[in-house]
Amino acid sequence: MGALIVDVAWGYTYFGLAVAALFLTVGLGRVSPDARGAYAFRPLLVPGIVLLWPAVLLRWIALERGAEHGAAAHKPPRRFQDGAALVLAILVPLILLTALVARQDGPLERAPVQLAPPAALEPER
Amino acid sequence: MSVKFVPVQWTFNKWVYDGVLLACVALYIIVFIRLGTPAADVTRPVDGAIVRMRAYGSCAFLMLTFILAIGPLARLDRRFLPLLYNRRHFGVITAVVAATHAFYVLGWYYAFSPTPRLDALLTSNVAYGQLLGFPFETLGIVALLILAVLAATSHDFWLNFLTPPVWKGLHLSIYVAYAAAVAHVGLGYLQDTTNPAFALIFCGGALVVAGLHLIAAKRGSPVPDGVWVPVGAVQTIPDQRAIVVRLGGDERAAVFRNGDTLSAVSNACAHQNGPLGEGRIIDGCITCPWHGFQYRPEDGCSPAPFTERIPTYRLKIEGDRVFVDRNANPPGTRVDPLPIPEALR
Repeated sequence: MGALIVDVAWGYTYFGLAVAALFLTVGLGRVSPDARGAYAFRPLLVPGIVLLWPAVLLRWIALERGAEHGAAAHKPPRRFQDGAALVLAILVPLILLTALVARQDGPLERAPVQLAPPAALEPER
Repeated sequence: MSVKFVPVQWTFNKWVYDGVLLACVALYIIVFIRLGTPAADVTRPVDGAIVRMRAYGSCAFLMLTFILAIGPLARLDRRFLPLLYNRRHFGVITAVVAATHAFYVLGWYYAFSPTPRLDALLTSNVAYGQLLGFPFETLGIVALLILAVLAATSHDFWLNFLTPPVWKGLHLSIYVAYAAAVAHVGLGYLQDTTNPAFALIFCGGALVVAGLHLIAAKRGSPVPDGVWVPVGAVQTIPDQRAIVVRLGGDERAAVFRNGDTLSAVSNACAHQNGPLGEGRIIDGCITCPWHGFQYRPEDGCSPAPFTERIPTYRLKIEGDRVFVDRNANPPGTRVDPLPIPEALR
C-alpha cells in the first residue's frame, strides 16, 4: 500500500512537471497580462503548479473561456475564517489533553498485572 | 496597480523583517544543537542526529504557532500589524524549516531500511486504529504537505490567478496544518518526553494560539439589522484614516475621513484583500497598508494608468453619528464625499 501511494505521488509529480512546462511557456502569458514579458518569477511557480496542477488546468481552461471573478473578489471568506479559528481553539486543547492522557505514565494507565503462563506451558514437576 | 510580476517585491521593511527572522531561526537552531549535543552520543537513546531533527522540528512548530498568533494579536492591538504584513515570508521560511526536519527524519530512522525510505515511512506503522502508538508521522506529513502548498502558492501571481476568495480559502488550511502539527507533536514527542520544559513550551504555545483566537472572535460585535449600519461618532474617525465596520456576512466597509468629508469603500483591497481600513490616505488616495495599492475615496478606482476598482458605499450623518448603507455599490461607482457639518469638524 505504501509503495502504491508513493508511486501515485511520483506519477502526480511527473504529470505536474509536464503541466508546469506547458503552462509556463504557453498558457501564462495568455491568461495573465501581468506575466507577459516577465520571466524571472516563472521558476517560482513550478512547485505550486506541480502541487496543484488539476486546479491550474481547470482555471486555465476557465480563463481561456473568458471567466472573471467579479464582485466575489471583494468578499474574502471571513465568516469561514472565524468558524475555522473557533474550531481550532477547541480542537487544540482537546488534542493536547488526549495526548497527555494517552501517555503510558498518564492517569489512565492501569496497574501492571503479572501474567500467568498458560496451563499447557507450565513446567512439569 | 497592474505591474509586471517580479520574483519578490522587496522593500526595506521586508529586508529587515526577513533578516531578523532568519537570524532568530539560526540562533534557535544553533543554541538548541549546542546545548543538546553534548548530552547526546550514540550510546544514548537521544543522539546527535535526533537532536538536530528535534531542533528543526521544534523550531517549525514554534514558528507556526507564532504565525497563527499574529492574526488575532494584530486584531487586538494595532502595534502587531507590521508583523502581519510580511507574514507570507514567515510562512515560506517555516515550510523550509519543517522540510529540513522531515529530511533529517527520513535520513536517520529509515537510513538502513531494505525498502525505499518513503515506502518504509508509510508502511512501518499502520496502527491507525489505536491511540497509543498511533502513526504520528502521517500527521506530520499532512502538516508538511499543507505548508508546502501554502509556501508554493505565496507569490502574488497565485492570488491573481486563483482569485482572492479561492486563494484565501486555500490559505485557511493553515488551521488544518496546525491541528495536524499539534497532534503530530502530542502523539509523538509528548508521549515519551521526560523534559517538562519543552512539554510546557509546546502545550503553552498551542494553548496561547487557541486562546488568542477565542478572544479575538469574542471582540467582534454583532451586526445590527436594517439598511443603515452605525459607524460611530464623526469625531471618532481620525483625519486621513478610517473606521472599519462589519456589514454582515463576509463584508466590511472602511469609512475614511479626508479633511472635512467622509467616504466609504470596501475594506478588501483588490490586490490581496489587504485591510484598506488599516491604511491611510496618501496624496488623496486610500493606500493599502500591505503593498501600497491606491484608490480614490470617491469612486474606489485606482488612479490612471492603473485599473483596479473596489466597491463604494453610501453614507449619511444623523446628529453626530455616521451610518453606512450595507448594500455595496458596484466596484468603481462614484459616491460624492459626504461633507461633515461645520459643528462636528
